[in-house]
Amino acid sequence: MKLSTVPRWRGLGAFAATETRVQFHEYLSIASSILVQVIFIFFMWLLAPRSLLPFALVGSTIFSAFVIGERILDEAAYIRIDHKLNELYHASPMSPESYFLGMGIGVLAAYLPPLIFLAWMANLVHPFSVTSALVLLGALVGVWAFAASVGYALSTLFRDMRAIWPYATLIFNLFGVLPPVFYPLYIFPAALQPVALVMPPSAAAALVMHSLNLLSLSYGEVILAVCSIVVETVCAFTFTVYWSRRFSREG
Amino acid sequence: MALKGSDLSAPPPLSGSVALRASGVKKIYHTRGSPPVEALTDLSLTVNKGERVAILGRNGAGKTTFLKIASTLLLPTSGEVSIFSMDVIKSPEQVRPYIAVVPQEGKPFYHLTPREQVYTYLLARGFARETAKSRADAVLMQMGLGEVADRLCVTLSGGQQQRTMVATVLATEAPLMFLDEPTLGMDPFARRSVWAALRELTRQGSTILLTTHYLDEAESLSHKVYIVDFGRIVAAGTSDELKRKVGGTIRVTLKGQGVLAEDFVSFGHCIRGDDALHIITEPDRISEILTLALKKGLSTTVGPVTLEEAFLQLVGRSIEDET
Repeated sequence: MKLSTVPRWRGLGAFAATETRVQFHEYLSIASSILVQVIFIFFMWLLAPRSLLPFALVGSTIFSAFVIGERILDEAAYIRIDHKLNELYHASPMSPESYFLGMGIGVLAAYLPPLIFLAWMANLVHPFSVTSALVLLGALVGVWAFAASVGYALSTLFRDMRAIWPYATLIFNLFGVLPPVFYPLYIFPAALQPVALVMPPSAAAALVMHSLNLLSLSYGEVILAVCSIVVETVCAFTFTVYWSRRFSREG
Repeated sequence: MALKGSDLSAPPPLSGSVALRASGVKKIYHTRGSPPVEALTDLSLTVNKGERVAILGRNGAGKTTFLKIASTLLLPTSGEVSIFSMDVIKSPEQVRPYIAVVPQEGKPFYHLTPREQVYTYLLARGFARETAKSRADAVLMQMGLGEVADRLCVTLSGGQQQRTMVATVLATEAPLMFLDEPTLGMDPFARRSVWAALRELTRQGSTILLTTHYLDEAESLSHKVYIVDFGRIVAAGTSDELKRKVGGTIRVTLKGQGVLAEDFVSFGHCIRGDDALHIITEPDRISEILTLALKKGLSTTVGPVTLEEAFLQLVGRSIEDET
């Protein structure tokens, strides 16, 4: 069989379905994935001006897509370190790319219901136009693809599950909570606002908020945010596809 | 090629009589802050189609490293490996449709049932749904997992989980299967069910390469045994051929205080075990040995030479020796 006849994405659908099935058994984990966001929204509603609530809801939706990367990091490392299932799948006709992307899609599918719930709540508080809904969808796909790629690539660096937890929490909270994801960009120090627009979660949040007229971005800022998400996501995804192939012979 | 709904599991047929050929395989692990570790040193072996071959060795001998290299999961430092005449090092994608691997101490997805585990793995390999379902049902029955096939794997015993992993791979009926310590942690009945399944698969044309440190497994299951120590093959042959290398057909084991090899060396070849002296001899010398042993107050057991003695003689220490 020539290399060209082996489908690059062989086994993708089947492995994604397997991962979704596995994740659905951990329904408490799925439900609790938005616990922090819901509590945060509650306190915003209780303590902050009501005008900030839509920001928090949009941010929660974006953040929920971003932390799927952390779930993928945990899952990829867990089934490799504790179960050795990566060996079972890598030494098979299923491609390493399918293994990575199948895991990403499978985890996304399982964590989609709470994400949709938050998006629905955001729509209740501040109704979406067709354009802003499409911007939200594009932003979520971009943030998920970026986070899934980073999560999977990072998972290959660890040989001990206990070492992962602090790093995973640190990385995903640092980039998902600290920058203006849950709150408007204009509250962020002016000098650091361009930095926020090159980080996919805060760039995505800013774009969605802008599309909802919650926030006003200049043309240059929109271009910067869009380019950041697209370029960084494409780079992260391409690298992880390459890395998954290479790592299938090293791990 | 139609993809959806069709069975992509059957790779093109293979020609030739050799399933796996490894030549001069060397692997050095480099870990930051530690000196390099040479796990394999010039390892060469051949596995013919339809054979069950065991790689036998102590922990850390290099068995798993070789299995990972041969199954496309690890790159060697140097050397060549081919499977059905395809280059494992350069073209792993070509090789992978023909192989399946049971990883050492691998575990199934805890939140799938054994039936789901086997079925979904077959789907991921490209099997059609009907084929995957019928094969999953059949292999689970064959492995004695029928009663627990619909229970979550997390609720199964360690042995049942291991059998699920083996069943997952055997269901593929891949032309070449690698099994790394496949019966680790299984009870004797479960081990025998795995052996029976492996025999059946080779009867159907598959080739099996397994690693083990169970001497009885290597002896009763394998057409050929490779004994590996410190990353190199120290002996190869059928278990009978290896036993003949010991220099006798009978083993007399002596235990007790003050048992000295010098007293018995004239009766045959003496091997010092953990807490015993093994004398490899012929049947006509047994009575003389027993007489002397009784005089010295030693306890004695007599039996045929096993692979254990062959291993002791060829490697110089017990397979359980971790040093």
